[in-house]
Formats: sequence, structure tokens, C-alpha cells
Amino acid sequence: MIRIENLHMRYRSAQGEVDAVRGVSLQVAEGQFYTLLGPSGCGKTTTLRCVAGLEKPTSGEIGIGDHIVFSSRQAIHVPAHRRDVGMVFQSYAIWPHLNVFDNVALPLREGKKSYSGKEIEEKVRGALHLVKLGDLEKRPAPFLSGGQQQRLALARALAREPHVLLLDEPLSNLDAKLREETRLEICDLVKQLGITTLYVTHDQIEALVMSDVVAVMSMGVIVQEGPPKEIYQSPRERFVADFIGMANFIEGSVESPGEENGATGQVKTASGRLRCLLPSGSACGDSVLILVRPEDITLCHDRSTTQENVLPGRVEIVAFMGDSLDCQVMVDSQIVRMKLHPDVDLSRGQKVWLYLPPQRCRAIRR
Amino acid sequence: MFRVEAIRVPWLRAMDINPWPYLVLGLVSFLVLAPLSLLVLGSFSTARLPTDFSLAQTGLQNYLKVYLDPLTYELMGNTVIYVSGSVALGISLALTLAWLVERTDMPAKILIYAGVPMTLAVPGMLQAMAWVLLLSPRIGMINRGLMESLGLAEAPINIYSLGGMIFVEGLRLVPTAFLMLIPLLRSMDPALEEAAATSGINPSATIRKVTLRLLAPGLFAVMVYQAMTALEIFEVPGILGLPSRIFVFSTKIYAIIHSATLMPVYGQANALAMIYLLIAVVTTYFYSRMIGRAERFAIITGKGYRPRPQELGAWKIPALAVASLYLLLAVVLPFLVFLYASFLPYLQIPSAAALKSFTLKNYRLLATYGEVGSALKNTAIMVVVTATATTLLSFFISLVIVRSRFWGRKLLDQLAFAPHAIPGIVMGLAFVWVFLRLDFLPIYGTIWAMVIGFTTNFISYGTRAMNASLLQIHKELEEAAYVSGLPPWRTMRRIFLPLMMPTFAGVWIWVVLHAVRIAGMPLMLYEGSQNQVLAILIWNMWDEGYIPAAAAIGTLLMLSLLLLTLLVRSVGFRTQRADVGGR
Repeated sequence: MIRIENLHMRYRSAQGEVDAVRGVSLQVAEGQFYTLLGPSGCGKTTTLRCVAGLEKPTSGEIGIGDHIVFSSRQAIHVPAHRRDVGMVFQSYAIWPHLNVFDNVALPLREGKKSYSGKEIEEKVRGALHLVKLGDLEKRPAPFLSGGQQQRLALARALAREPHVLLLDEPLSNLDAKLREETRLEICDLVKQLGITTLYVTHDQIEALVMSDVVAVMSMGVIVQEGPPKEIYQSPRERFVADFIGMANFIEGSVESPGEENGATGQVKTASGRLRCLLPSGSACGDSVLILVRPEDITLCHDRSTTQENVLPGRVEIVAFMGDSLDCQVMVDSQIVRMKLHPDVDLSRGQKVWLYLPPQRCRAIRR
Repeated sequence: MFRVEAIRVPWLRAMDINPWPYLVLGLVSFLVLAPLSLLVLGSFSTARLPTDFSLAQTGLQNYLKVYLDPLTYELMGNTVIYVSGSVALGISLALTLAWLVERTDMPAKILIYAGVPMTLAVPGMLQAMAWVLLLSPRIGMINRGLMESLGLAEAPINIYSLGGMIFVEGLRLVPTAFLMLIPLLRSMDPALEEAAATSGINPSATIRKVTLRLLAPGLFAVMVYQAMTALEIFEVPGILGLPSRIFVFSTKIYAIIHSATLMPVYGQANALAMIYLLIAVVTTYFYSRMIGRAERFAIITGKGYRPRPQELGAWKIPALAVASLYLLLAVVLPFLVFLYASFLPYLQIPSAAALKSFTLKNYRLLATYGEVGSALKNTAIMVVVTATATTLLSFFISLVIVRSRFWGRKLLDQLAFAPHAIPGIVMGLAFVWVFLRLDFLPIYGTIWAMVIGFTTNFISYGTRAMNASLLQIHKELEEAAYVSGLPPWRTMRRIFLPLMMPTFAGVWIWVVLHAVRIAGMPLMLYEGSQNQVLAILIWNMWDEGYIPAAAAIGTLLMLSLLLLTLLVRSVGFRTQRADVGGR
């Protein structure tokens, strides 16, 4: 497991002092796949490097397994090479003067624990087999393709059987198709080994597909943490909703708060009343932002039944995307984006009614 | 529960105030600042010799004497003509050669790729001497040949002139400029030019508006660098200018100290060195700024695609001829002239009679002549110690500059680069003051004085090479070792050393190549046979008129330098492997 408590990291750069991490706390359970997701400069990589021991945090505490590896209070800082971790770098950092076999073997030969030659050979073969590089043992590292280098880096990180695996945007240098395959491969491998994994990425799809838990970071803090589905479906802040997937935001103020326990309440907006899920403890008059995902909105061609949450609009843009139809509908003076089945017949200028299901409308405080 | 592991307070604190960077900074500061401050102090000295210097005897006399003398301004004019002329010649030749081999379908490119760097093996002193043998009005073989065949009464060409200095120095600047321009041309993303082509811009406009614009910052940086080299060099203006009393800065300072008729006045040399130094420092400052700009431009380059070569068509053969002519002038002809002269009992122009008089007596003389043996021994010790010291010191300096967060790393970088701006002659002069004034270094007149002087001079190159190499070793390669459980010293041995080896070897051999051939600084620190090195021996022999004997040593020196240069090249090719690692 990994435990981080109130981690702060400040460093001096050419632009002056930078607070890269400002009070991050998290816990990765044994065998869990935990992802730090966020835009560049949000502090996710710095956090990972602190866990690896490559950066020395300004304050806080970090534990790996049963060991405290950093604690500003107790003045502990275990250097990187004595931490029980394996790491895959964004650039892969394959040692160019060694061949495939030696790249994996070096950590075993030179590390703290000593292995016999036979053990080393077994472990290296095992690791290379795991990542399907078994037949490239003798190849010099510079003659590997990007994908092969990536898998070699993974094999090297795993060969020592570390307690935790740290992955720093390992897929960002691969092309789209390879990235998709590798994503699943890594996922499988990690689950099969049951190794605790801390993963850093700026790619929301990677985060959603691979993780048990996703933590969205912004400006040095974790904004929201939870299982991928929860992060996607019930973001607690506009930043999270914006960063993951596409979202429509409608401003409004609470008219009647619902009863406790996730019941829906009424919100008054410029386009009419909307029933939606309110954050707990909402009071009358609170200004809120209603969040609706494009794929949750449906069309109703006539307004025969007086349903709630139906808004009139005019189709502005229709884009055929193959697997879906992306449309933008003008509701009053606001564009609402929706994702429809490709067979739906719509044309520009057409008048439509949008249905926003109350259970899919989530209000967040402004 | 959590268990506490390893490293407690004292260690942590010790990590925070690591003594090593301070040690390195202190040493470099001493090497660079001690001579400079004594140089400045000495310029106010009214005593003739450094040993007589005291703070009581100071004044502005030296400055008045030097800067009220109209000859000083003639000297500056000479220097400007000489520097700009040789840079213009050198850069245009180098750019032509680089463009021919990188961007055209000229045949036999390998000849140029391999041959141009070989010209580095010919020391400036020997290059100038060879051209004296060819173009001196009195003994020059080409002059004599032209006079006889055309029936001229006077020699048509005089190498003892500004033109002669520009010609020889221009040739000498080519290999370095060529080696700097090749990567510049190569790293330029051809897509940028292709984009111009697909936008309907014709090829010649593309070269003017895109290619040259992109090259401009880099090209300008190369020019400034070469100007500094030309300004600094002593040997070429020394051999070609001193006999006809055409002075540039470097030779004038030497002449003040080594005047045959007047007592040397060190203070005046210092006062003159001040303006020389100022020019050099200002140039260096702009050079560093340019480099910064050039690197910013480099960001837009990348991808290793090779552009389609320009088809030369009918110009193929003329292009090759021009390129080969350069090699002929820069290396083949000087070597042949030396070889020829070294077999002569006395100097004469080539003829059947001259060939018949060929003798090995000059080489035999070398074997028996006592000074040769001691000079060789001195040279060997001086060169090996200098190269080793420079390599190690540069590595530690660069480690601090590139890999630490030490507050003074920018300062250290500038200090280490500063000697590049200090001309060898000035550095020599400054170290004369150091060794004569600072009693705790009783090494004046020994080869150790030269070792210290050269090491200080060469760390500017050494740290540039090491910085570049360390930057290329992606930090993650090292970090990957740490997170794989390799302790720092093993990371050093298993990751750093193998990856840095080509650079170590490259810097070491580079220093050997330069320390063995430079005559300027050793001439300032030379005190007799106990610290006579090869370059000084050749200089003295030439000065005293033992030309065939000097040619014999010169031939041997050129041969060994050629072999060493070949070695550097082969090491250089291996370096490329290390580039592949981190992207």
C-alpha cells in the first residue's frame, strides 16, 4: 500500500518559487490501481516522484508498505534506491549502452539484495516473458521500437518484484492504436500480479479504463477522488466535469431543496424550472450550476405530455461522427450539446424539445 | 505499524549543505580570478618586473603610454582587418563545404566528411610555417617558381602581410566551423522547407527566406565563436606578422615582453591586455546570448528525416574540385612541404638536384640532439597531466552545473567558460604574475606552470562538452537506476561512466591535441630547457633558422597528431550511440 499525508512540495525555478504540490493526502490499498489524473502542471508527476524518492518534499509523510519512506516531522528521507518500488518513466529511460537482457538484469545485479546468476537469469526471463519480449533478449536497446521500449521499461520495473509500481505517463509516447492495446495489456498484467500501482496520466480515457480509483488533481491538490464511474457521473466541481468528458452547464438558483438522501429539488434557470439532484445541505436561493452530460439528453419531437425538464430549442449544428450524432442546440441564448444515435433525423434550424432526465441533472455549488 | 527506516537528521542536513559544490567553485574561482586580478593590479604597476611590484608603486603611466601611442590604434585596425577577414573567409568556405556534403548530391562526400576534420591535425604554427616555405618573397617555392617561369623581377605574393595572415587563419578556421555547421544543417527539420515549397515558394527564395533565416542565429553564433578564435590565436600572426612587424593584439603583447632591444615592461603589456581582454569578454558575452537564442530556435527542429538532396547536375565535378582544393591547401600541401623540407640538407626549391641531395641527417640530428629528448619528455608529462586534470575537473564542474540545484551553478558555469574569452597570451601573461607573486606556488619556470595555465584555459571547452553530454544523458536514465535500487556510486559506475566514456575520451584527446601544439601560452611561461616543450622547441629552431630540422620535428608532430585525430574521430562515432537513449 501507499500512504501519503499532507504532502507539500515547493521548489525554486527560474520563475521564482513554485508550489507544485499543496497538501495531497491519499491512500492506495494493497493491489489497487490508483490514478492521478490532471492537466500538465497540476502536481501529479511531482507527487509520483516524491513517492519514488526522486524529489524531496518540503513537508508531509509518505509510507510504502509498512515503511515510512519520508517524514518531515521525523526527518526521514529514504533515498530512491532503498525504496521498494519499480518505476516506468515517460521517456522509458532504457539504458542505451545495454541490451534488452542487461537492462532488466542490472537492477538485480547491482541492487541491495544479491541474487545468484541463475536466479537473475530466471527472473529476467520471467519478466521479459511477461511483457512478450522473450525473443529479443540480445537486442541492443537503441534498436527497439517505441512499444518495445515501453514494455522493456515495464519488465525492468517488475523484475525486482517491487512492493509498488509507479507509472509516469507510460503511454503518452505511443501512437493511438498501440496505446489502446498497451492500456489493456498493462491493466491485465497488473491485475494478474496483484501489484499496488500508482499511475499518472493526463488522459481521461486511460484513467477511466484502467483505474480502481481516480484522483483528479488541479493546482497541486486533489479535487476529487473516487471510482471512475463516480468521478464521471457525479463530479463535485466544475473543473472535474470539464476535465473528464464533455458537459453542459446551466446556471440557476435553488427554488425548493429536496428532502435529504439524494432526493431531487427544483432549480430556477433562465430557460425554466429544472428538477435535479442537489448537493446535500442546499438551501433556498443558493446559486448552483446544473451539469448534464450530452449523452444523457434525449429528444422529444412534440410536447404532448406535460413532462418536467423539457426545454425548447433550435438545432444549430449537426455533426455526423460515425458512431453518434453530435448536435448543438440553442436553448434561449445558450448552446446545449447532445450526443444522439446516428440514425436520428435532424436538420439545421429545426425546432426541438430536449428532455433532461432529473436523475442525470446534477447541481453543484457555484 | 510504520517502521522507521534509514537516514536520520545529520545525514539529511549534510545532504542539504553538500561541501562538494563549494570546493569546485572555490578551485575554479582561484584558477580564473587569481590571474585576472593580478593582471588588473599589474597594469597599474610602475615597476618593470612583476617581482618588483608593490602597491606603493602604482599609477596610470602604463595606460597613458599605451593608449596615447598612435601605434596602438594601428594595431587595433590591423586586428579588426585580420579577424574579420579570416572569419569571412573561414565561414564562407565552411558553409560551402557543409552545404555541399549535407544538402547536395556531390560525389565522394566521404572525402570531405573525413578530410575536413583531419585538417585539425595541422597546428597553426606549422600551417603558417608551411606557407612561409611556399609563399615567402625570399624563399617561397611558389614565389620562386612563378618568378622563374614568368620572368618576374620581384616575388608576386608576400605571405608576411595581413592578407597572408587572413589566408592562413581563414583556412585554419574551416574545420571547427564545418563541424559546428553540420549539425546545424542536419537538425533543421526539412518539413519547414517543404512547407515553403508546398506554399508555392521557389527554391532560391526558400533558401533565402526560410533556410538562411532558420540558420541565422546558429550561423551568427558560429561566426562570433570563430572571431574569438582568430582574435586569440598567437601562432599564425606570430610567424607571419612578427618578421614584418605587422602586429595584432596577441603578438604585440608577446613583443612587449620579448623585445630583443628593450627591457620588458610587464605593466605596459598588462595595460594593453586590458582592452584586448575587454573585447574578448564582450564578444563572449554576446556569444553566450546568441547561443541561448540559437537553442530556442533549435526547439522547432527535430525529426531525423533527411531532405532530398539538391541536384548539382553539371556542377558536380567543379563542386568536388573546390572541396578538394580546400583539402589540398589546408592539409596536403603543408604536409608535403614539411616532408620535403625535412629531407633537405639546406632549404632549396624543388628540382632534380634537390631530390638528389635528400638526406636523413635532420632526423638523425633529432635523435642525438639533447634538447629534443628533454622537450619530448616535458611535453609528454605536461600533456598527459593537463588532459587528465582538465577531464576530471570539467566533469565535476559540469556535474554541479547540470545535475545539482546548487545556488552558484550559473556562476560556476560562467567562471568555467570565462577562460574561453581570455586569449592564451593574456592568460600566459596573467599566470606569469601569479607564479612570480604568489609565493605558495613555487612553480615558475616548471612544466607545472604550463599544466595549470592550460588546464584553466581548457576547462571552458571541457565543461561545454561535458555539459552537452550530461544533458544528453536523460535524467530519467539515472533516476531509473535509483528506483531500480542502484546506490549512487553504482549508478555512477554502471550508468554514468559507460555513457560518458566517449566524452571523457573525446575531451582527453582534444586537450592532448591542443596542449601539444599551442605555442602562445608556453612561450610566455617558458624559462629555459627545464620547461621547454615541443611547440617552443620548434618555434625556437624556426626562429634561429634551423628550418630543415624544424621541418623534421614538424613532420613527426603532424603525423602523430593525424593519428590522434583519427582516434578522436572513431571515438566520436561511438558517441552517437549514446544519443539514442532518452528522448
